[in-house]
Amino acid sequence: METDILEIQGLTKSYGRLKALDSLSLKVERGNVFGLLGPNGSGKTTTLGILLDIINMDSGSFKWFGKLSSPQVRKRIGALLEQPLFYPYLSAVQNLKIIADIRGVPYREIDNVLQLIELTARKNGKYKTFSLGMKQRLAIAAAMLGNPEVLILDEPTNGLDPRGIADIRDLIIRIANTGITIILASHLLDEVEKVCTHVAVLDHGKKLFSGAVDEVLSGKATLELAATDMALLENTLSGQPWVLDLKKEGQWLVLRLADDFGPAGVNKYLSQKNIYLTHLAARNKTLEKYFLELLSENHVPTH
Amino acid sequence: MFRLIKIDFRKYFYNRSFWILTALYLLLIVLVFAGSEGFINKIMTNAGKNSPIAIPGFSLYSFPFVWHNLAFLAGFFKIFPALIVVIFVTNEFSYKTIRQNVMSGLSRNEFLFSKVIFVFLFSLISTLVLFFSALFLGLTHTDMVSVGLVFDKMFFVAAYFLELFTFSMLALMIAFLVKKQGLAIGVLALYFYVIEPLVAYKLPDYVSQYLPVKVMGHLIDIPNSSLMKLFGVNFREYVSLQDVVLCMAYSVLFFVVIYWFLKRSDI
Repeated sequence: METDILEIQGLTKSYGRLKALDSLSLKVERGNVFGLLGPNGSGKTTTLGILLDIINMDSGSFKWFGKLSSPQVRKRIGALLEQPLFYPYLSAVQNLKIIADIRGVPYREIDNVLQLIELTARKNGKYKTFSLGMKQRLAIAAAMLGNPEVLILDEPTNGLDPRGIADIRDLIIRIANTGITIILASHLLDEVEKVCTHVAVLDHGKKLFSGAVDEVLSGKATLELAATDMALLENTLSGQPWVLDLKKEGQWLVLRLADDFGPAGVNKYLSQKNIYLTHLAARNKTLEKYFLELLSENHVPTH
Repeated sequence: MFRLIKIDFRKYFYNRSFWILTALYLLLIVLVFAGSEGFINKIMTNAGKNSPIAIPGFSLYSFPFVWHNLAFLAGFFKIFPALIVVIFVTNEFSYKTIRQNVMSGLSRNEFLFSKVIFVFLFSLISTLVLFFSALFLGLTHTDMVSVGLVFDKMFFVAAYFLELFTFSMLALMIAFLVKKQGLAIGVLALYFYVIEPLVAYKLPDYVSQYLPVKVMGHLIDIPNSSLMKLFGVNFREYVSLQDVVLCMAYSVLFFVVIYWFLKRSDI
């Protein structure tokens, strides 16, 4: 089996003068949970629309499973783009039967996906009577029909209440655990951070970064420290080669560490100096912070 | 192809508005077929009261003229099936289900074919209703029925099918190009009742006769009645090959326009 699920080369799309996508290149490998991040209007939906043959690109190319796009290829992809799109007068089952017929999937699989999204009890209810959360789950069910190799989710929690968001997030985590490749576009970072293995950050149709989440979040750890004698603590730490930055923040001393010098090292050093910490906490750099940093760096006018 | 029919069929079968509109339309044409003879004879008799010569009552329904008479009458109502086509195709755009269909693995061309099949089958159903109505009325209103008499001029039923199919293809094109339901209905009605008649009026006859609705209308000429013969008017009692070819050419043209447009547009 190929390892490359998706390869995008120089994808470009303009709407009039607006450049929605500017020669975007990406690679998604099998088993990745790939987060596509970026503010509204950064080109996430345009990218996914092109990949699903909904939007025509101006130039560039992309390959799914090493093949050029075709209806056959799309049958191996499940997708939820922005909002659920179904026939309001049909029931959940009837809507799924249409998708099953399109994808050439036997009807008996419909019960499985309905079970997955926990909508079995309302399967004969008309789509128009569903809550937004149910509609969104039904869209995921439709995407999962026929056991796709890739699942594309574009802002799957948009417009949902906290309960609905939690339901969808649990569902995504459950699906991700089955080992399927997922491409998840979102600007709600919290939802991405919990499930993604890889991320790409887009802004104004350009790729700012792409890589593994571990890489983004690792390195340069930040620690919160406190001891009985705060002044002594500060004096002891300042000037050490592995201390990149040291400052007081409220009751804590916030310490930025050099690479490869973990909290254990700090602890050991301080205990050798007879300083015992009353508080030691690692401040994980959240994806959100990283993302905001990237965006703000990029917004500095360069010319 | 069976797969496309199955997919499309489910979209209409459980839709109540589809059945109501279809039933109303079919009921309307059957009532028109059944009532037209009485209606016309009544007018004739009234007009005959002041006429120096007695105008004979006549039958629209006798073989073989019934095929021509009813096919001509049915042509006046072709806007209704065309509206049904517009309503249910633009639905796919307003629900954005065309997007879901394509995303799920239907090609744009398959989507287009499924709609052409819908137009074809719907035109066929209308034609069958015409066929059976005419057959029934003919059998009950002809004094001496013979096989030859029944089959004579039956080709008008086929001509009606072509007229309806071509017109519904025009409606399909408008639906795909305009996408918005209300607007598409407006454009179709405006074109049918205002724009083309106006353009035809401005253009010389030898050009305007090739306009699409003109071509479709020309396919089945006004039936001759004994009354018209009285006035010395004589219309065509055949379908001209040129009209058939032109209608088919228009159907192909509409198809190509949709194909070209659908291929290039974002959905």
